[in-house]
Amino acid sequence: MEKKPFGCLTVPGLITAVLTGLVVLAVGLLRGGVLFSPGPLNAQAGALIGSVTSHADLSGRCTACHAFFWQRAAMADRCVLCHTDVDVQLQDPSTLHGDQFSKKPGISCRYCHPDHLGVNAPLTDMTRVDISHQTFGYSLAAHQHQADGSPFACKTCHVNGYTTFDQTICTTCHQQIDLIYTQAHLKAFGESCLACHDGIDTYNHNFDHGKVAFQLTGKHVPLDCGACHSGARTIADLKATPQACSSCHAKDDAHQGQFGTSCGTCHSPDGWLPASFDHSKTKFPLTGAHLKLDCIQCHTNADFASLPADCFSCHAKDDAHKGQFGTSCGTCHSADAWLPASFDHSVTKFPLTGAHVSLDCAQCHKNGVFTNLPADCASCHPDPSFHAGLFAGIRCDRCHNTTIWSPATFNQSHPNSCGQVTCINHENATCRECHTVNLSTANCLKCHDSNNPVEGGGGD
Amino acid sequence: MLSKNKELWLSLLAALLITAVYAFIVYWFKAIPAAAGFFGHMIGVIGFIFMLMTETLYSLRKRSRKGRWGTMRSWLQFHIFTGLVGPYMVLLHTSWKFHGLAGATTLLTIIIVISGFIGRYIYTRIPRALVGVEMTAPGAVNQAAVLVRARRTLSIWHAVHIPIGMALFVAAFIHIGAALTYATLLR
Repeated sequence: MEKKPFGCLTVPGLITAVLTGLVVLAVGLLRGGVLFSPGPLNAQAGALIGSVTSHADLSGRCTACHAFFWQRAAMADRCVLCHTDVDVQLQDPSTLHGDQFSKKPGISCRYCHPDHLGVNAPLTDMTRVDISHQTFGYSLAAHQHQADGSPFACKTCHVNGYTTFDQTICTTCHQQIDLIYTQAHLKAFGESCLACHDGIDTYNHNFDHGKVAFQLTGKHVPLDCGACHSGARTIADLKATPQACSSCHAKDDAHQGQFGTSCGTCHSPDGWLPASFDHSKTKFPLTGAHLKLDCIQCHTNADFASLPADCFSCHAKDDAHKGQFGTSCGTCHSADAWLPASFDHSVTKFPLTGAHVSLDCAQCHKNGVFTNLPADCASCHPDPSFHAGLFAGIRCDRCHNTTIWSPATFNQSHPNSCGQVTCINHENATCRECHTVNLSTANCLKCHDSNNPVEGGGGD
Repeated sequence: MLSKNKELWLSLLAALLITAVYAFIVYWFKAIPAAAGFFGHMIGVIGFIFMLMTETLYSLRKRSRKGRWGTMRSWLQFHIFTGLVGPYMVLLHTSWKFHGLAGATTLLTIIIVISGFIGRYIYTRIPRALVGVEMTAPGAVNQAAVLVRARRTLSIWHAVHIPIGMALFVAAFIHIGAALTYATLLR
């Protein structure tokens, strides 16, 4: 049997194979390596470098970027032939490219910058970038997705190259997210976003105010930053915001400055009311019935600073003594109530002793008269008929004391009614033993009778 | 029916398994496997080896009638299996991008598969012995006319199919060379 040639090695097959190779060769000669391109090159125009503005301008010129494996140069060497600025940065770890290159010395440009993915495809694959954008003063932690949900590309923010950044891009994008808030924020803080924001975002709504000296509590919590920090343009400005209550609340001061600027002494951030004023720290501590009063009962006309502390300034109208005791109410009365009062009569010119102590005030001070009362006994105690007028003009206390009228002590020379200068043998007799009716008469016979003229009989 | 078209059912099963793995990769990475990636490369390489086996093994067996390497029918079934599964894997390797020479190679692959189906149909019109050897007299005398017509058709098909295959493999080898040069071995 005739041996057949291998199936594909027929004349038509071989001719086709050669023709195929020639067609590829022809296309290669005419259009470069476009046949081997896995996809269109990026066409986003950048700066003019040489004669091209984009990778797409190099389409078909494979060797402009691709070095053959037998050549000494690598692909990255071809990249930096055009991107000379990157070549410089690669030597400086403080730059984006230098940072990447220092971390991965063998890294190739195409690791982060893939191409052949389409004319409009991103030239940077951020997922490949092993970098903390924070290295350059701004973290991308809060910028993973744009307003429409699409991922960020470098060019999203760095329109004119990643070494430059126009902050109007911030406002453009954030106005799409929240127009009203952003406009208010811009008005309060200006357009230099990076002066305060670091992208984490340290200074945003989630800022932990507890880490600073001024803790946010009560009604301060829901406030927008601009409510207190309006006008701040830098972090230093934010930190320099005055912390005194009056720096923000001077316009709200219902006391018109009478209590100074330490609002926190009485008020809390929870609200102006209720306020908790500690009256004990003033020159007029509140006690007794004063504790139950509303502030306005004393502090009429919102006067809190110049009120007199004496009782009479408020209680003149209540003075039952009609001013006879002056204005020092506290001498007798306490703040608990007007009564009971505790008057110390000993400090007067008429100290109370004896039976006077137990008297009601009104027994002496009739008709509410407390001043200019005479202190002599006779003004209250008229001369009794028993004296028969014999002691007119003589002070009562010559014989009596304030404890009791009788017995009295008569220590004057006794009239000699019985022929003796002194009452011989009558020293121990009381007045009324002889003067049974009054002092002008004597009844000797009470003790003596005719049968016993010298010694007393049965009389006492 | 299962035994009659065993190679087709096996091809379908293999294609389903490969599709399942492919779908898992897509689900896991949330992206179409790139042609230059590990999985894309792997299915491309295996698929191309299958296609090479399709192109060569059956032809070798046909020319080794004294050999004892299985029946012609089995080799044909294997030829069909690799001829279906290999191109399917190559199709997945493309990551659904059909640019330049790689796209042309994919197109030729699809054409050669269709052509293969047509060839198989023509092949089945030729009366054969159970082992796949073409029947001769006296068993096929009464089918002589059919045989002549079918063999002529098969000859014409060969004249078309083989050049397409040659063009495909030349393009594929150039594509592989270019991929090695511009991507795989790129530093």
